[in-house]
Amino acid sequence: MTDDNSRPLIQMVKVDKFFGSFQALRNIDLEVQKGERIVICGPSGSGKSTLIRCINRLEKHNAGEIIIDGIELTDKVEDIDAVRREVGMVFQNFNLFPHMTIVKNLMIAQQLVRKTSKDESRKLAMRYLERVKIPEQADKYPIQLSGGQQQRVAIARALCMEPEIILFDEPTSALDPEMINEVLDVMVDLAKEGMTMICVTHEMGFARSVADRIIFMDEGEIVEQAEPAAFFDNPKSERTRAFLDQILSH
Amino acid sequence: MEVLTGWWDDYLWGAVIVAKVFAASLLLMVLFGLIGAAAKLSDNRVAQKIANGYTVIFRGTPEILVILLLYFGSAIVLTAIAQVFDPDIRFVDVPPFWAGTIAIALIVGSYATETFRGAFLGVKPGSIEAARALGMSPLQTFIYIRIPEMWRIALPPFGNHMLSLVKDTALISIIGLNETLFVAKQAITVTGKPFTMYIVVGIIYLGFSSLITLSVMGIEKFGNRTTVGAR
Ligand SMILES: Nc1ncnc2c1ncn2[C@@H]1O[C@H](COP(=O)(O)OP(=O)(O)OP(=O)(O)O)[C@@H](O)[C@H]1O
Ligand SMILES: [Mg+2]
Repeated sequence: MTDDNSRPLIQMVKVDKFFGSFQALRNIDLEVQKGERIVICGPSGSGKSTLIRCINRLEKHNAGEIIIDGIELTDKVEDIDAVRREVGMVFQNFNLFPHMTIVKNLMIAQQLVRKTSKDESRKLAMRYLERVKIPEQADKYPIQLSGGQQQRVAIARALCMEPEIILFDEPTSALDPEMINEVLDVMVDLAKEGMTMICVTHEMGFARSVADRIIFMDEGEIVEQAEPAAFFDNPKSERTRAFLDQILSH
Repeated sequence: MEVLTGWWDDYLWGAVIVAKVFAASLLLMVLFGLIGAAAKLSDNRVAQKIANGYTVIFRGTPEILVILLLYFGSAIVLTAIAQVFDPDIRFVDVPPFWAGTIAIALIVGSYATETFRGAFLGVKPGSIEAARALGMSPLQTFIYIRIPEMWRIALPPFGNHMLSLVKDTALISIIGLNETLFVAKQAITVTGKPFTMYIVVGIIYLGFSSLITLSVMGIEKFGNRTTVGAR
């Protein structure tokens, strides 16, 4: 929005989130600078998905402030729309639109949300399909593609909206092992290009080589955050250590 | 076959009436089904209750009884209303076409309510979330994502609802609608050949239902090209 470089792109201040009486997020403070790459990990049910889903308002937080590129998330629909234009999201289960061809999947939101012409949106769609290396699949339907290909399409679909930030919610955990790398490769490329990324993942190799910062969550709290080297080699919290022992032993 | 001479045109007009009842009741059935489903899915308690009452009553009562009650009931009500304006009126005749059409549309609409509701809930939440995350508005998401997925889910049961409508048309003969079964009864009193006359009715209804079944199969194939057919 503005070129104030010192201001974080994402600011979460004392954010709480409840599902009924169950508290899924507790007092979350988080700042993400433009171009930063964050990896979030933690046990199942610790609130990782909930945290990133609050950032694009797929979940509504109950207390605290979330400010994205200077826009505070409230009930104001225009603000939510503005934030969603800046924030792309990639889901665990790809969530492609099953009744549309691949290229249509990439065009529909461009046409409806950004009011791009049909020709322009097709051009951009093809450009991003080439970037994720599957332009030849453009006229197929999602079900005809492998999981890895579908996830690459989902990434391309998010990129077509030219977002400032991309959120990834366990993008490789629904994939067969031999397809994980093709998706991680695309994500590494994005990171190299300077995209601001928040990535929930248990791919620790990816985290170590790509992340600027790793966040460990447990029971709705941010327990620890550190650079990869410090995080893996010298975790401060007992809970982090127990978690790392468990997933690295597999 | 000779006994049928002279009855062909009556059967033809009967068939035209079946087609008319089908067309009108189809429109109304979709309307009732959509309203019922919207009410059941809404947050409004009263609307939910009314829609629940509607489906319980119309799915739990014999269809022929619904037709009779609606026909005589509406006649009583309309007569009472008419007498307010003109006390000399004895009895208002409700056209059997409309009483019957509305009755079967209400009956089958109660099944369609459940079909449409199920189809709405059957759309994967993932698609909807993806659309919202891409910045599409609730209305855009509904039109471009939910409806295209919904009709594919609803189509097979909807085909059955259309068959019910056609078959229920025959029940309307009981209140004097001159569709094919009604024609057959008249023909039988003249010719004394019930089997032949009823077989003709059967063939006509079978023709209608085959047409519906084939159309639904065609549309289903078109819809499935993106899923099963595409594999
Ligand atoms: N819509 C919801 N309604 C009720 N409870 C929910 C809802 N969504 C999440 N929760 C609960 O909130 C907690 C955090 O869920 P969340 O999905 O954020 O965990 P997670 O860290 O992403 O776990 P996973 O690794 O299994 O994806 C869980 O206990 C979950 O059961
Ligand atoms: Mg999760």
